[in-house]
Parts: sequence; C-alpha cells; structure tokens
Amino acid sequence: MRSFGNLVINEWLKLSKKRSFFIPYAVLIAFVGLFGYLAKVYESTGGMGSEGEFVSTLDFIHNVMSHSGMGQFITFLAIIASAGIVTKEYSLGTIKLLLIRSQSRNKILASKYVTAVLYTLSLFLCTGIVAMITGGIAFGFGGAEIGWNDVFTGALYSLIYTLVYVTITFMVGVLTKSTGATIGVGMFIVLLEGLVTMLLSKYAVVKYIIFTNADLSVYSNGGAPFKGMTMNFSLIVIAVYMVLFLGASFVTFKKRDVA
Amino acid sequence: MNGLKQENHEVVLSVNKVTKKIGKHVIVDQLSFDMRQGEVVGLLGPNGAGKTTTIRMIVGLIGMTEGDVLVKGQSIRSNFAEAISHIGGIIENPEFYPYMTGYDNLKQYQRMTKGITEERIKAVTKLVGLEEAMNKKVKAYSLGMRQRLGIAQALLHEPSILILDEPTNGLDPAGIREMRDYLKQIASQEGIAILVSSHLLSEMEQMCSRVVVIQEGKLVTMRSLSMPVDAAEKVNVTFRVDDALRAKERLERMEEIQVLDCVLELNEVRVAVRDSYIPRVVNALGTEGIAIYRIQENRESLEDEFLKWTEGNRIA
Repeated sequence: MRSFGNLVINEWLKLSKKRSFFIPYAVLIAFVGLFGYLAKVYESTGGMGSEGEFVSTLDFIHNVMSHSGMGQFITFLAIIASAGIVTKEYSLGTIKLLLIRSQSRNKILASKYVTAVLYTLSLFLCTGIVAMITGGIAFGFGGAEIGWNDVFTGALYSLIYTLVYVTITFMVGVLTKSTGATIGVGMFIVLLEGLVTMLLSKYAVVKYIIFTNADLSVYSNGGAPFKGMTMNFSLIVIAVYMVLFLGASFVTFKKRDVA
Repeated sequence: MNGLKQENHEVVLSVNKVTKKIGKHVIVDQLSFDMRQGEVVGLLGPNGAGKTTTIRMIVGLIGMTEGDVLVKGQSIRSNFAEAISHIGGIIENPEFYPYMTGYDNLKQYQRMTKGITEERIKAVTKLVGLEEAMNKKVKAYSLGMRQRLGIAQALLHEPSILILDEPTNGLDPAGIREMRDYLKQIASQEGIAILVSSHLLSEMEQMCSRVVVIQEGKLVTMRSLSMPVDAAEKVNVTFRVDDALRAKERLERMEEIQVLDCVLELNEVRVAVRDSYIPRVVNALGTEGIAIYRIQENRESLEDEFLKWTEGNRIA
C-alpha cells in the first residue's frame, strides 16, 4: 500500500512541478471572484431581488458549483489535465523508463487514474472555498433558502458529472497516446452530449446513453429527463460505463507493446 | 563458443527461445542466449534484425509470442516485478521529465523501488559525475549529461544486469568514449553483467567480451572476443624481413606453413601457421640469416567478420 501511495505522489509531482500547474486554479479563483462581484453589483442596482437569487452565500456557492455555473468549466479544466496524465509519458518518451520498474502496469495506471480523480477533487475544493469566501464577503451568511446539505449534494452531482468525463478522457488518452487528440475528443464529447441526446431522444436507447445519465442534478426537482429514468437507474448506468471505460483502459495499457 | 573463462560464473540472464510475431511477420525467431555475471555482451545485427525488439522483450516493454526470459531464475512473463528488479535499463536515449531537476527525476525512480536510500542517490550521482548538475532542470542538460543521468537511474536499485539499447546513439566521439569508460568501470567495479545493442562495431569491439549476432530475428553466431587462441588453430601472420624473397623460399620448404602472400616492395611475407609453430618459424629465419623487423598478427576486425556473418550485401 505504501508503494502505491508513492506512485500517486510521483504522479502528483509530475503535475505540480510544471510551471503551468497553478494556472487553472488562478483562472477559477478569478472567475468566481468576478462572478461574485458582478452578482453583487447587479443585486445592488436592484435587478435581481425579485427572483431571489444570490441572497446569501449558500445560494452563491450552490450556483457556482452547479453544472450551469462553474461546473462545466471545471469539467473542461479537469479534461485538459487528465488528458496529459498518460499521453505525456508517451510524448516525452518517459514511458520506457516508467515501465521497467518493479511495479505492475496495472498499479502504475491505477496511480495515474487516482491522481486524475484527486486533481479533479482539488479543483472542486478550490472553487468551493473561493466561492465561500467571495460569497461571505459579498452577501454575508444569512437568509439562505437552501441548506448546506443542498450545497453539498449539488457539488457532488457536479463532481460525478466531471468524473464521468475525466474517465472518458483518461480512456481516450490510453487508447490514442496523443495529448492533443485526447483533449480534443474530451471537449468534443462534452459539447456533443446535448446534440446526441436530442438526436436520439425519439428512441428508447437514449435512456442508456452515458450523456443522459451523467448529470444527476436533473432529478433534484423531482423530474426526469426521459420516461422511466430514476436516480438509481442513472447511478447504475454511470457505474456500468465507468467499469467499461476503466476496463478498456487497463486492458489496453497492460497488453500494449511499448515500441 | 561461450567465453571460456566465464563458464564458472553464475548465469544471470537467460533468453530462452524467444519469439515475436506481429501478424504473420516473424520479427524475432527462437532466439536463445545466456549471460553470466560480470560479462559485457554485445547484441549485433544489421538494421531491422530485431535487436531493439529483443531488448524490449527482455525488459518487458514488448510482450513475447513464445519463449521466456529468466532473470536470476525469475520469469519476466509470470513474475515481472521480481525479475525486473534485477535489471537496470537505458532504452535508446534516456528521456526524463524536462521540467524537473535531475534530483527530482531520480527521486521519482527512488519512490518506485523499495529500499533505495538517499546515500545511494548520492553515490550514483557521484559515480556518473553529475553532482554539480543535480539541482538543474533536465531541459538544461546536454545529451551527454542526460545519458549520464540515464546511467544513474539504471544503477539506482543496484541491479545485477544492465541493459542498454543503442546507448551511444547521437553522442559525439568524446561522449561515446566517456560512455564506454563508464560501462567498463561499472562492469568491473560493481560486477554486473551488461548487455549492449549497437551498430557501432568498433565500439562493440572495444567494449564487449562477447558478441551475439542476429539477423532477421535469428541467431547467426555467438563468439567471444577475448578468446585465447586455440593452439591447433592457424593464425594469419605477417613477417617483415630484410629479404622477402629468401624468407619466402625458406618458409615454403617448411611443412605446416602456408605462404599466403609475398609483397616484395614492403619486404613482407604473409603466412598461415599454427600458433604453437611460430617460434620455430622465427628460429628457421634466424638460422638462415634473415633479419626480422616485425611480426604482426592479421586479425580480421569485427567489422570484417560481421559483414561475413551477415553476408554484407544485406545490410540496409
């Protein structure tokens, strides 16, 4: 177990020793700050009071973390980082020295996936904390219509959504070995999800597509995107897809000749 | 065929009927050879002979279709983690994370293997002479420095076998010489076996105690380069004398001597003779009053032999 921890430390260092490591965090902080500032200005000019939005910090955090707030933006940042986690080893040529250590390929790939998940978590954590500070300054901590529980559930849904795409990106990275192609495919899929859902909406199969199930926040108002879909149904579909994506990644990585 | 004096050393690496097929194409075909402790073995072959594939199969980067590689008795196929722990490798030019320092790069490999101490990192950096550069980022390293860092990472876990795929690729003559000196030093100091693939024949000649020659994935020959001359074997010797014609006539009268050539302008006579017979030849010429200026063995260079083994024209 200690050796696996060391592998994760290695992977984390490979990310964090890059000079560009802090950019995504800086961008997130800047955006959330800007978001808070604009909301405050808008609120004080009286444009928003009637709709009751952003009256408190909790509402602000909830909105920032949601899919329609910063959620999708975080997904993009996570895709960019996790695209390189496997492919960079190939483009730098370091894969050769990495795979001739006394560690199984499965363990090495697992450490990379865990690092991608940890990185995604760190983006959410950063956003959450900054949103709390910004919200606290701008709106204070009173008169919330929602509780902490809603905030956490909302953030969790966003996190699950992002992890689905991180996993897809991770798989594409293992399959293609090309960073550029992987980022491209990852982003493209995120943008494509609406279109695919729309095109397939006439058919029953749409229920089983990962895109329709990835965003669990659709259930929070008691609704369902398509007839017959429930929260549990979506959780099972997500789990099955994750197993498939990771299975394809591990099998490919294990078998592949490094030429 | 095997190096004679090495025979009592332990076999550390055993390549056993290793075959690699991609589709119907056979890249390496039933290749077998052994390596003993402290030996420096060269893997030779024309381009596309399967050297790189063989080396990558040994270190587990490429899977094999048939056969197995045993490292100190452990199979690289079924017991990879244990087997590979005895191997240190540099596969082509060693590549590192350019945005990290040399030290950070070595730390990466330290964390991947149990029991590498901070002292060991210090010791290997000292051995390759990189102490000054350890806190510089690798992107500022020259190719020679990266090559040295490559040796350092390969030696970090105190392996019993060092495997190098084209280690001198892209190095300048000084770098090649430096590399050769390091390898020799390592082989003698740390007593580890070294397998090197290269197409630089003169390099291999100076570095290796034995060569394994492959072509089209098959073993062509294995031979020792430092083999003591077999007493029964004829050697090819040139005598430079004061009177080549007389010397030739005298030598032709002797049994067991075959005069191959006589160059009057240079006063040289080339003969094929048994090794044990040479003192008698010298004696005979001496009593005849023929002065001897030089006696020189005409050894075929590794290059000549290599071309013979691989039938020259097939070299890409």
